[in-house]
Amino acid sequence: RRALGGAAGPPSTRQRREAEEAAPVFQYAGKAAKRKDRVFVWGFSYSGALGVPSFVRPDASWKKPRRIQATPYRLETEEKISSAACGYGFTLLASSTRDITKVWGMGLNKDSQLGFQRSRRDQTKGYEYVLEPSPIPLPLEKPQQTRVLQVSCGRAHSLVLTDSEGVFTMGNNSYGQCGRKVVEDEIYSESHLIHQLKEFDSRVVQVVCGQDHSLFRTKKGTVYACGWGADGQTGLGHYNITSVPTKLHGDIAGVNIIQVSSYGDCCLAVSDEGEVFGWGNSEYLQLASVTESTQVNVPRHLPFKIGKVKEAACGGTGNLVLTEEGNVFVWGYGILGKGPNLTETAVPEMIPPSLFGWSDFNPDIRVAHVRCGLSQFAALTNRGELFVWGKNLRGCLGTGRMEDQYFPWRVTVPGEVVDVACGVDHMVSMVRSF
Amino acid sequence: LNAAPGRAPRQQVRFLPAPAPGGGGAVELVAARVPVLADHPLVRGPRFKKLKIGAGHRLDVKASGVFVLGIGHGNKLLTDLYNCHLTKVYTVGGLFGKATDDFSDTGNLVEKTTFDHITREKLERILAVIQGTNQKALLMYSNVDMKTQEAYELAVKGLIRPMGKSPPIITAVRCLQFALPEFQLEIHCLHETQQYLRKMVHEIGLELKSSAVCTHVRRIRDGVFTVDDALPRTQWNLQGIQEAIRNCQLKVETELEKTL
Repeated sequence: RRALGGAAGPPSTRQRREAEEAAPVFQYAGKAAKRKDRVFVWGFSYSGALGVPSFVRPDASWKKPRRIQATPYRLETEEKISSAACGYGFTLLASSTRDITKVWGMGLNKDSQLGFQRSRRDQTKGYEYVLEPSPIPLPLEKPQQTRVLQVSCGRAHSLVLTDSEGVFTMGNNSYGQCGRKVVEDEIYSESHLIHQLKEFDSRVVQVVCGQDHSLFRTKKGTVYACGWGADGQTGLGHYNITSVPTKLHGDIAGVNIIQVSSYGDCCLAVSDEGEVFGWGNSEYLQLASVTESTQVNVPRHLPFKIGKVKEAACGGTGNLVLTEEGNVFVWGYGILGKGPNLTETAVPEMIPPSLFGWSDFNPDIRVAHVRCGLSQFAALTNRGELFVWGKNLRGCLGTGRMEDQYFPWRVTVPGEVVDVACGVDHMVSMVRSF
Repeated sequence: LNAAPGRAPRQQVRFLPAPAPGGGGAVELVAARVPVLADHPLVRGPRFKKLKIGAGHRLDVKASGVFVLGIGHGNKLLTDLYNCHLTKVYTVGGLFGKATDDFSDTGNLVEKTTFDHITREKLERILAVIQGTNQKALLMYSNVDMKTQEAYELAVKGLIRPMGKSPPIITAVRCLQFALPEFQLEIHCLHETQQYLRKMVHEIGLELKSSAVCTHVRRIRDGVFTVDDALPRTQWNLQGIQEAIRNCQLKVETELEKTL
């Protein structure tokens, strides 16, 4: 009997080619496919600072709460986040949109550092822990025109910088760090008070929060400070608290400062000529190159011969600078990034660029930005890779391991890292997808 | 090989009877060097009846390139070279727009996609990510405790390498040519198979939101042996092989001394 239909069997090459050409073509991404901006968080989650409520209160009874998120986790946000800041157990996310809601906060709110978050169960009380990114109502005069440029968080206070309405401060003010007069026995939790600061000699372009003090850098290159001063971190020549932002003098008088940085009780400033100035706590040899005393209350020039400095980052016990050539220098105390043997140095030591991926195969890898947490350091390369090192407190390094990291280690993030904000036990990064 | 002059036969000293000088009758023992009859070629037969040839790292049927062989006593050197864990370099050619079941262009078609949105920049970004993740794997499988000073020093010099069993690790990737829909990559890797490289081409296609198949895989370097040392088919004769062995001997020895 003849077989019905054509001859079966393996198709010849010509038949296969014809079948291939007739197959449909799928399109996954067009020519104008845009790269999306995403936010990734990792670290300690029980304070709510990661903004994922299912880590703290799981949505199904059989799921267990996740205390530590050891690798980067994507956070869904409504708008594109342009600036983020991590404080001591809380986070602020800001977008440069013209909509009414421009800033979101999550985490600890015991001192109203995230503004007043009305509780849904009891309309008269506020939340002490905010588990999801919640909008912060800012008392703007023109809410549909002003844009938020930058946010910064300290131990229990936060600063929001806008382009035309000055600086908004909220949170704990027991040392005057919010820039308003200290009220005795003030209760900071569930407070609606958000203070606005406008009196500076020119427009403020950068705000930085230390542990209990605030620094403001203006367009003219001057620096203002307010807050706790017992370690000299306000740089005003005394060790008292200051409740009104006051201009700094000392070695930075007349110098055009282009960047300020602080996170603990020490502060660093970079001038446009690449010189570094420091003041504040020096118990960990941060300023030991110029003075033996442990507190410096006037800005002093640090005479380092390492080249023109582009960016500085100040941590709790260690400091980091980035030079124009893309080299990273580190000094202070703690896990500095040069192996377990180097725990303290008063003079900056360079971290070899081969640890950041530089090799004969890839000679044009440079470090583009440096950031500091309390005892962690982060460096971003021009290829969008993130390197972290330091004490791995509750998984904040994001490496997936719980051990401390003694030299720069890559964090695997699915995308190109644009910016990162380091906190005490968590980190937030802004990433562009491929 | 058997035609080449063999070793000279061993000599032995034997006492042979020889007629004593001055008159017959008495026989004296005189020492003389006499070749041992057991070494005579007619007794022993041809010197080489079979040769032991060992192969170095595998190269599958669809790939081409440098393939290391060891002959006779050289097989021991092969195991030593394997324990050195040196990197191998491949040129891999790929084609965008198609996905097949065995990741090469001779397999059955699974899917066709568009690829006009792919640029050289996007490809290089993906290659940078691949290098980054493999760098982490390199450090993790090298069995060095991350907390020690020597781990830091090895990491600075870039000498950390897994010295034992490990999954395939890519130490460096570079894009040599890019002309849509074709592209060519140079890959330095350890402990890999050619199918793994083809799978990687497929995954690069997926990451770029399209699909890719591998057209050819060619090994251009295997530890110390490069394409220049390799013998092409026309030189597969005794002289060629002997010369090649002589040229490579020095390189192999220095490499083994450096690592072990």
